[in-house]
Amino acid sequence: MKIPNEARSVSELTEDIRQLLEDDIGEVLVSGEISNFKHHTSGHRYFTLKDDQAQIQCVMWRSRTLAFVPEDGMHVLIGGRLSVYAARGNYQVDCVFMKPEGVGDLYAAFEKLKKELHLRGWFDASRKRALPRFIKTVGVATSPTGAAVRDILSTIQRRLPSVNVVFRPTLVQGVEATDDIVAAINELQRADVDVIIVGRGGGSIEDLWSFNTEAVAAAIHNSTVPVIAAVGHETDTTIADFVADVRAATPTAAAELVTPITRDDLIAAIDSLRNMIIDSMSENIQRLATMAEDFLDGTAARRVSERVMHTAQRIDELQTRLRQAVSGSIGSRQQRLEQLNAHLASLHPHRPLRLGYAIVEREGKALSASQPLQQNDNVNLIRFGERSTATITTTESTQENNG
Amino acid sequence: MAKQAKEKSIEESFKRLEEISQILDRGDKPIDEQLELFAEGVALAEKCRTYLQQAELKVKALSGDDANLS
Repeated sequence: MKIPNEARSVSELTEDIRQLLEDDIGEVLVSGEISNFKHHTSGHRYFTLKDDQAQIQCVMWRSRTLAFVPEDGMHVLIGGRLSVYAARGNYQVDCVFMKPEGVGDLYAAFEKLKKELHLRGWFDASRKRALPRFIKTVGVATSPTGAAVRDILSTIQRRLPSVNVVFRPTLVQGVEATDDIVAAINELQRADVDVIIVGRGGGSIEDLWSFNTEAVAAAIHNSTVPVIAAVGHETDTTIADFVADVRAATPTAAAELVTPITRDDLIAAIDSLRNMIIDSMSENIQRLATMAEDFLDGTAARRVSERVMHTAQRIDELQTRLRQAVSGSIGSRQQRLEQLNAHLASLHPHRPLRLGYAIVEREGKALSASQPLQQNDNVNLIRFGERSTATITTTESTQENNG
Repeated sequence: MAKQAKEKSIEESFKRLEEISQILDRGDKPIDEQLELFAEGVALAEKCRTYLQQAELKVKALSGDDANLS
């Protein structure tokens, strides 16, 4: 490098550059892909013309006519002049005309890769892994500047700060981004995270281009850990978004996905379990207390003694009946004996004698009732403990009937 | 390592709390065992609650050093 001896001012140097671009090169005819097309309210049109290695700013004043509506991704042919904007230190193509030139290379490449990976099954829903239920560590691969990392961290902080975060600052735009994104995904896997968020914040479609490369798609596809892609915006979905296990619309949404259960949820659940434990314990103690009370106030004891008494009573009853049965049978036998005795005694011939009746004997023979006495009969009168002789003086029958 | 042990314990603590709650709900253990479980459950719930309430997000930057970005 041969650095000159004499110093120039910035204006002087810029003037040299202006001469080079505006005078030495001047008019250009260039083809490329439109991106970041803005139709300003003033009517002027500003956009970037690019290919896969370079880009250049363009402006088309409203005075220039356009036969079609330019769109991002369109491949066009532009005729114009280079001009240097000294105040800002950049250069642009001042377009005179613009013509569409068929499908842009980048866009074609994108479509081709998308189809290829789709055929390989890299986008299949069945391949997509569910996020683990308990996520302890989250890996984040995104730019350290910009809103993405801020949004992710603040969302996780708000929802569940006990989650661990491993942040791997990553280039997300420019040519070097592809390799850096791949490296980031690999390093986060090695750091033992449960899930990886790959994200980017704002920026234009050409800034996203690394996320449309096969290298990044392969890194996501081969990841041993589920990957959430928060790359594309509503209309532009990148290949990384298609290959990832989960697609989040924004970095904040990605952070919400990794904290499905918030700190408040967990605390509420813990409180609820604690209350259930306390309630169960109370009930169990109460039940025991009641049992103890019952026992102590004699209910149980009383019931036991009641049964004992009842049994004793039955035993008494049985004994009595047994006794009765036994004595009853004895008693009746005695009764019968007495009855027999009485009967026998009544039958004994001497019984009447005790009552005072006499047996009349005639000629040594006792007279029966059917043998009448006659006058002058000599009889013996046998009374109880006495024997006498008598002669009948008079006698007569007193029977009214023979009965 | 200590951090890992803490993290592990949130999930494990939760499972243990659920376990204790179910056992006590059945109410068929001897009373002294129940009291032990009760004490364990309440202490565990307190510990988890405190930990969660006090937790602050810690971010480890993968560039070799442990930078705390909050």
